[in-house]
Amino acid sequence: MLKKLLWKSVIIVSVSVPLLLNYSGIILSQGLEKEASVEENIPTKEPLVVKYIDSDLNSADKAFEQVDPLKIELQMQDLAFPNGGGSVKELEVRGFHNGETIFFNLRWNDVTKDERAITHEQFRDAVGMMFPLEIVTISPETPFSPRMGDRGKPVNIWHWKADWEKELHVAGGFEHMEDEYPDMWHDFDFDPHPDYFNKRVHESIPLMAGGIATGTLLSKARGRSVEDLNAIGFGTLTSQAHQDVKGKGAWKNGKWDVVVYRPLITPDENDAQFVPGMETFFNVAVWNGVEGDRNGQKNISIRWRPLKIEIVKYKE
Amino acid sequence: MTLVHNWHLGRTMEYPYFESRPKQQFAAVFNINRCIACQTCTMAHKSTWTYSKGQEYMWWNNVETKPYGGYPQFWDHKILQLLWDNGNNPMEWYTSAEDMDEKKAPYGLYNGDTIFELAKTKGLNQMAVGYIPDDKEWRFPNIYEDTAASEKINYETEAAKESSELPEHKRWFFYLQRICNHCTYPACLAACPRKAIYKRKEDGIVLIDQKRCRGYRKCVEQCPYKKPMYRGETRISEKCIACYPRIEGKDPITKGRRMEARCMAACVGKIRLNGLLTGDYKNPDPKNPMDWLIHIHKVALPLYPQFGTEPNVYYIPPRWAPRGYLRQMFGPGVDEALDKYAAPSRELMAVLQLFRTTQTMLSRFEIEDGEKIYESEVMGKKVEVYNDTVIGYASDGTEMVRIKVEEPTWESDEKRMITY
Ligand code: SF4
Ligand code: SF4
Repeated sequence: MLKKLLWKSVIIVSVSVPLLLNYSGIILSQGLEKEASVEENIPTKEPLVVKYIDSDLNSADKAFEQVDPLKIELQMQDLAFPNGGGSVKELEVRGFHNGETIFFNLRWNDVTKDERAITHEQFRDAVGMMFPLEIVTISPETPFSPRMGDRGKPVNIWHWKADWEKELHVAGGFEHMEDEYPDMWHDFDFDPHPDYFNKRVHESIPLMAGGIATGTLLSKARGRSVEDLNAIGFGTLTSQAHQDVKGKGAWKNGKWDVVVYRPLITPDENDAQFVPGMETFFNVAVWNGVEGDRNGQKNISIRWRPLKIEIVKYKE
Repeated sequence: MTLVHNWHLGRTMEYPYFESRPKQQFAAVFNINRCIACQTCTMAHKSTWTYSKGQEYMWWNNVETKPYGGYPQFWDHKILQLLWDNGNNPMEWYTSAEDMDEKKAPYGLYNGDTIFELAKTKGLNQMAVGYIPDDKEWRFPNIYEDTAASEKINYETEAAKESSELPEHKRWFFYLQRICNHCTYPACLAACPRKAIYKRKEDGIVLIDQKRCRGYRKCVEQCPYKKPMYRGETRISEKCIACYPRIEGKDPITKGRRMEARCMAACVGKIRLNGLLTGDYKNPDPKNPMDWLIHIHKVALPLYPQFGTEPNVYYIPPRWAPRGYLRQMFGPGVDEALDKYAAPSRELMAVLQLFRTTQTMLSRFEIEDGEKIYESEVMGKKVEVYNDTVIGYASDGTEMVRIKVEEPTWESDEKRMITY
């Protein structure tokens, strides 16, 4: 028994050496990123006030009319590889809560609607909101990256995706290859009943897919258009086990108009919590699919914005 | 970026991670001279790993006709053009005696930018130069099959009389067998901003973690060999997995011993040998068939070493294709490799017999001497063939195969020769 244990410890040590090497590799590669400026750790002055309005999703449009938008200037992401973005210049944010749910409205100009990511060349439009997971002070003395958080400084990210939104409205809640390639069952096929035959062959075997086996939300119907994630720096974005955020978006006349919402308080320790009366911060990013935006290729704001959540005003 | 040693280039090069070589490295030797383009390898792959929806266009193994064929279409033309950078990066090799080093620079010194270095030189916002092939480029995996290149392709000129004369044919094509190279410095891994791609310490196999991948297609963009592929059905990328359950010995047929990958074991033309290279390239094992063919005898060469990823599928170049084209494709080691292959040594003749004799991966070979059976001259060089016996062993020391250089022949019974 003891011998076995001893062996185990030998193995553990020998395994951890390469691991250590690997990690130093990761750290080194992160050393590649350009140093953030001091300015990035000074949140802007003007806050977004999340007003208390006794309203809900159905009448959210009216509620948003009653609040002032915060206009956020966007720029290309230029710190972490791969860089990119810069095609979307501004985002308008509005917010309100009804004592139970917090709603944000995000609007930006985008002449093309990119709501599919099936072929190699297709990338989706998307928008993200980011909050420090905990209550924090942000200043040059107590820095907190406005980009993706940092080690020991986790963030909660809400990521709305145009294709997920579209999939909420298609049968089965998921778009398949045949939606992009409607002729896929009989292309290059001279059989008189190819449609029937090929389709049947395809459907008779279980789909073998890593994405489905690992249960990634990207690969299956997920019944929501917003992904609830965490990050502790570049390259660490991780989808949560409990998805709590929902959204609703529409594209009209060259403009995306998206609402994302979530209960103010959730039982999930990986979620940022919003208590009426409190102040925290948020930041945003926009992806323009037609430009090939994805991951770090995005339009970002490089400053945190204060977020003030109004107290609940009970009616007498 | 850090500095790592790339022995294909004979120098250190820039790479985003530290040099961290695996204990052993998944590798293969493909003898281009013997391929008959039957595509059995391609179908073995297809029926094992990419038979379901969203993978219709995926061929992790493909065999294309060079110089025009390519899957995705013109992948190598396009990468070479990017790397050429309008002539700013001429991709030269230095091969004088002082540029060579038996262990660290066996082919000489590459004096040009790799895909990683060029991205940096040009100030690109990514790790390596590259592009994402579009739908159409993926669509015809065997386009230009059997289409030959010729000096005299023009009908107005006379056909080349000497078109099939060695050492170089005037009218030529050859088959190039391609899988993921499980590179020592994978560009796919370097490109992935999520670190969803990893290289296994135990056997050097490069995999995409299907849980971490978010379908950004950075690997598709930056792998110069275009072997990671995006699966529209699941919105994430997939790539050749080197049949890792077989490599690990999980298939019961080989009783726990390492087994060759499917495309290798299926090869009808017996062109493929699959095995593990010794991790320390400076100390190759002269009894390991992979180490011997690649490091010691140097008859098998990497595909486009100038890309800088240190790919681990090695090719015995085709004898008949123009040397200039081959040097561009396999580096300056081509002339030595072809000299050795055209007039094979006693040992090479024996080791070549091991190709496709067993599904079990061989990690050691021995040769027992036999009598001389043949003598000839190939391009001014004397060739002597001995009927030696080569024995291949699995890593646990079990003898897996014993085969003679001269193939046994049978004469059928006269009764069986009846013609109706
Ligand atoms: S061939 Fe491409 S996919 Fe395979 S390891 Fe090398 S860079 Fe990665
Ligand atoms: S199975 Fe072998 S001979 Fe046939 S195409 Fe593939 S590599 Fe060539």
